[in-house]
Amino acid sequence: MTPIITAVIVVTAIGIICAIILSVASKVMYVHEDERISLARECLPGANCGACGFAGCDGYAKALVEDESLSVSLCTPGGADAASGLAEVLGRTAGEVARKVVAVNCCGDCDVTEDKMDYRGVDTCAGAKLFFGGKGKCPYGCLGLGDCVKICPESALYLENGLVHVKPRLCTGCGICTRACPNNLLETIPVEYKVMVACSNHDKGAVTRKACTNGCIACKMCEKTCEQGAFTVIDNLAVIDYEKCTGCGACVEVCKPGCIILRPTLV
Amino acid sequence: MDFKALIAIIMTSALVNNYVLQQFLGICPFLGVSKKLDQATGMSIAVIFVMLLATAVTWPIQEFILNRFELQYLQTIVFILVIAALVQLVEIILKKNMPSLHASLGIYLPLITTNCAVLGLCINNIDLGYGFLPAMVNAFGSGLGFLIAMVLFSGVRGRIEQNDAPEAFKGIPITLVAASIVSVSFFGFSGIVENLFG
Amino acid sequence: MSNKLSVLTKGIVKENPVLVLLLGTCPTLAVTTQASNAIGMGVAATAVLLCSNIVISALRKIIPDKVRIPCYIVLIASFVTIVQMIVSAFAPDLNDSLGIFLPLIVVNCIILGRAEAFASKNGVIDSALDAIGMGVGFTLTLFAMASIREIIGNGTWYGFSIPVLADNHVSILTMAPGGFLIFGVLIAIINHASKGKGVTRDEFGCDGCPSASSCGRSTCAKEGVIE
Repeated sequence: MTPIITAVIVVTAIGIICAIILSVASKVMYVHEDERISLARECLPGANCGACGFAGCDGYAKALVEDESLSVSLCTPGGADAASGLAEVLGRTAGEVARKVVAVNCCGDCDVTEDKMDYRGVDTCAGAKLFFGGKGKCPYGCLGLGDCVKICPESALYLENGLVHVKPRLCTGCGICTRACPNNLLETIPVEYKVMVACSNHDKGAVTRKACTNGCIACKMCEKTCEQGAFTVIDNLAVIDYEKCTGCGACVEVCKPGCIILRPTLV
Repeated sequence: MDFKALIAIIMTSALVNNYVLQQFLGICPFLGVSKKLDQATGMSIAVIFVMLLATAVTWPIQEFILNRFELQYLQTIVFILVIAALVQLVEIILKKNMPSLHASLGIYLPLITTNCAVLGLCINNIDLGYGFLPAMVNAFGSGLGFLIAMVLFSGVRGRIEQNDAPEAFKGIPITLVAASIVSVSFFGFSGIVENLFG
Repeated sequence: MSNKLSVLTKGIVKENPVLVLLLGTCPTLAVTTQASNAIGMGVAATAVLLCSNIVISALRKIIPDKVRIPCYIVLIASFVTIVQMIVSAFAPDLNDSLGIFLPLIVVNCIILGRAEAFASKNGVIDSALDAIGMGVGFTLTLFAMASIREIIGNGTWYGFSIPVLADNHVSILTMAPGGFLIFGVLIAIINHASKGKGVTRDEFGCDGCPSASSCGRSTCAKEGVIE
């Protein structure tokens, strides 16, 4: 009988001691977490892209609860749904969420430009960039190995004929891909922008022409044609001032190389 | 205990008798968490931490309570109870006092609780008849072995991801085949302790 | 009646705990060096599974929700201790060969997982049938794997020497790497045979397994939830 009693007492005692220690600890070390933080977090998509400017969705949720005046419309991937959800949870009004989408500032596919080497190295854009600036003749252009394609959480990017294209319907404008391109060719722009300069080459016209037949040669035809005066050629590359651009498309007609294009809106 | 013997214990438990690759303890987290290097490292550090703490608590309990009252058969129940409570306590303390550490390592703690590795280590210490210091050193060595295996394997797994395995093998099967090859490589350590320490 | 039968048989093939659900991988790799060990481990685990499922199912309305996991663990640990004692008394050789994996049945994910997923939500009879099914599936898998490893790796089967293989065996299969290899190949065979018609995470019980939140099982990884 005694061994049984001893066993029962020992196990019960250990159990009770553990229980007491845990209960005391959970009371003494209670971390007060505002439950609104987890409610707010649930409204966010969880992509942790940083488009809102905070460290991941957790960071944004925490900042929203702590700062009453912070806008609930900063989440671009979440869009209007996230904004309205957050507004409901936190009791604030949702502003306008500017729908953003990604544009590829390069039109150099295999038809208009060539490789300068037979590249057999590491199969990533970052790796190719380290090796004499990549395999293409244009050092500013798309490296064609798809780092951005792989990283896009919505699978909204695809490689075709050596150039990256966007599927605008799938793109949420989160901007994760913009950080993946070693040549910084990807840019998030508001959906309203209709015209874009699909080139990032800053070399003189003659040099650009040798690298890619579509590249911007700084001929300034766009600057002369645009009635709103939205174009400036800076550093051998045309730049659009979107405050003035009406999307009339006159520049698209006159651009001889063909790098000024209407932004693709179809899937 | 002399220093050499302690080093021998560390090398044995970390390399020769590696917990994951030779003793098959802790396979579930090994297969589950080794996909990314940062996850793997975080998990392994949490494992070392829990192993050290668990040994520090269970060894005295075995020595001063279970052995004294002739209750060795209660070892399984008492050990698992104490380990579970201990890890819960650590999580509460971490959350309060070191929130950044809790954010990075905290998610792995419940994973380690009901894991063969920790309970296996505690029972091993008793079965091998170690004193307190050798037991703590054994705990550190085993955790270190776990870390080595996890980090190595996450590198291997990263490479496998980029390769094209046959359809039936995609996912866990090819990972297991890779694990078997890594395990073979650890056989290379088998003579190390005898040869280093005579 | 067919429902009861399906509860019983699903653990054997369709939701085989080792090859489909990938639970209980540690003992699978460790004790399958010999067929006799495998049967012993399988029977011991089935016994624990059966008893714990019945008791947890019977007590499911009484155990408070917040402390249910520690309660289950204590119950399972008690049954494991009993099984340990029985094995060491009546089959001491098995006790030596299973070694540390006999007490480690207590942290076997199969048992805690089924307790959490099935026994806590269903009646006693159903839980018992589920336990038997899962246990039989576990034992059969262990036996199959142990047979392969023992026959090719040692040239014997259940202790009986096999004519040609006894002199020409591939010893590495009975060691650690062999375990991983045969396990991987078996899962690949099952994947091929079922052609990806595996069960999803919601259908079987991951919730009891503490690894649930960071597990990377290919059969149940949901897009974007588990990487």
